[in-house]
Amino acid sequence: MIKKLILFLEPPPGWKPAVVILLGVFTGIALLVFHASEAQSYISDKPETCINCHVMYPQYASWAKSSHRETATCAECHVPQDNVFSKYYVKGTDGMRHAYVFTARAEPQTIEIKQRGINVVQDNCIRCHQDLVEMTRLVEVTGRNHLEGEGHRCWDCHRDVPHGTVRSLSSAPYSLVPRLPSIMPQWLRDFLGGERE
Amino acid sequence: MATIKELSEKKPWLNWVLFFGTVVIVFLIGLFAASIVERRSEAQLYFQMVKPIPDWEPRHEVWGQNFPRQYESYMMTQDTTFESRYYGSVMIDYLEKYPELVIMWAGYAFARDYNQGRGHYYSVTDVHNTLRTVQPQPATCWTCKSTDVPRVMNEIGVREFYSSSWSDMGSEIVNSIGCQDCHDPQTMNLRITRPALAEAFERQGRNIEHATHQEMRSLVCAQCHVEYYFKGEETYLTFPWDMGFSADDMEAYFDYHEFTDWVHGLSRAPMLKAQHPDYELFKTGIHAERGVSCADCHMPYQREGGMKFTNHHLQSPLNNIAGSCQVCHRESEETLLQNVYDRQARISELRRITEKNLARLHLEAKAAWDAGATEEEMHDVLQLIRHAQWRWDWVAAANSMGFHSPNEALRVLGTSIQKSQEARVHLARIFGRYGVPQPLELPDFSTKEKAQEIVGLDMAQIRSQKADFKQNVLPVWLEEARQREAAYNLP
Repeated sequence: MIKKLILFLEPPPGWKPAVVILLGVFTGIALLVFHASEAQSYISDKPETCINCHVMYPQYASWAKSSHRETATCAECHVPQDNVFSKYYVKGTDGMRHAYVFTARAEPQTIEIKQRGINVVQDNCIRCHQDLVEMTRLVEVTGRNHLEGEGHRCWDCHRDVPHGTVRSLSSAPYSLVPRLPSIMPQWLRDFLGGERE
Repeated sequence: MATIKELSEKKPWLNWVLFFGTVVIVFLIGLFAASIVERRSEAQLYFQMVKPIPDWEPRHEVWGQNFPRQYESYMMTQDTTFESRYYGSVMIDYLEKYPELVIMWAGYAFARDYNQGRGHYYSVTDVHNTLRTVQPQPATCWTCKSTDVPRVMNEIGVREFYSSSWSDMGSEIVNSIGCQDCHDPQTMNLRITRPALAEAFERQGRNIEHATHQEMRSLVCAQCHVEYYFKGEETYLTFPWDMGFSADDMEAYFDYHEFTDWVHGLSRAPMLKAQHPDYELFKTGIHAERGVSCADCHMPYQREGGMKFTNHHLQSPLNNIAGSCQVCHRESEETLLQNVYDRQARISELRRITEKNLARLHLEAKAAWDAGATEEEMHDVLQLIRHAQWRWDWVAAANSMGFHSPNEALRVLGTSIQKSQEARVHLARIFGRYGVPQPLELPDFSTKEKAQEIVGLDMAQIRSQKADFKQNVLPVWLEEARQREAAYNLP
């Protein structure tokens, strides 16, 4: 099969070097896109990954000032933690949608969580705070009932956890969040006499 | 299955297809990479002025060279297509919609013409157009209409400006409400350019210089969106806030100073005209109590790329629920819109009652006079009419159909209804005394035209005067203004 494919694609003898060079050009450009978009960071669960797009600065800034920052990262709440398949499925599909929206400059002024995200977060609240809700039998109110439109979600009462009550792209414009490093390596900028970060 | 080798030997043009196809793909990938880099770097943009703005520069486009986002969003106030249930940016002929108003304003210019205002962009145009300016008016009317006002006040003095006539200033006042009215040209800080607000603060023993930035985001609006009157011979613009801030307090203030806007053409009551006390009404509401400013809803912050800026498309928040309400409220747009309409519908209901009451009252009072009632007998009736209509106007003239403070709006309208009913009790006694048959036959004022006839307006003549003005006077003004501004050496 692979052999057939290679045979099919094989260039005439004199063209081989040119084709190899062209393939190199392609690969190089692909790597540049990979590097510029910090693509490797998306494998990790670091919160800093989410602020590759500056749209998420207010969310990052409010979380970084909240009690949750000590234990719960973005993915800890916003990505399913029950098994590796659903984790990467949600992460991948959400990520692709976010990338598309951000690239197309289609971000709304007030970001709203979608129903699937709501379900994920609600499950994750209970995952960590199981002991609390069980003790008070609140689990009947909050548990999975919200999926049927019954009962309440945790943040119907805990309104400001953890992102505060004011939410828009402009709600934390001057927040001190880690900025992305320059796409150029330091040695190259030194060589070109650019400014240091 | 032929290989590519064989294919390209057989059909050489396929090589061109491959070549161009590759060019397109590489080009697109390159664009994508550029877009990523661009969106990464825009997070680090900052405020930059490219061109200093001279003091008292009235033209928005000159400011706009430095602040394209603000300027472009301001220019959106040209849009007159948005219509909410009660308001919007669309022009509504209120006299058409509520013919009672014509009766209520008999003997006053508002009976000729009264519309829902359009965006700030039209502030000067609509003053040129309104039939209320057919009769002589003081230059004080211009105070809130144009960025040329601070410029002229600076040139000739505040008092001199107020005491000129409206048409004296015709060629000076041409730019609509805009940048200079609220901003300092060097620092872009919010500033107060209209003396009346600062003076009102002073008389209350407060210093407007001490206002916080968040307060200023309302106070620049309060320069104009407030109740005011023209004091004395020199028609000095004054806010009636010295005895308090509520409808009742202002009423007491006007009574104390024995101020009257006009004597009613039918009832002869010493009337008051309220002018959009938006700021005063808003200050009694829950949003003001929580520290929300006018700009938070009417000019919400917005992000475009990495730039945070204030959206200068001043408009009804109902046209931008996501940017306005949802920043703090988690409910859906439909729910929030319904919440607003629910409140407005209640206020509208009471407001219609007050209007029907008042139109009827003026006609009944006229019948009482005609039957021979004395000044003394009518005194209380006329005072009640004055107060009832003032309270109706305090809510009706304010934009938002009371939403700025639903509770207060309903309270004030309620007291208006109570005062009208009291007046009618007095009138019933007078009718009894003079043997006037009851219930009174009222003339038909179901349309604007019929109502205008009742109050004795010759609309055809007024319209022809306006047409004459627009044909012969206005072009001269605009030409003079054009020549003056050409001398400002536009780039």
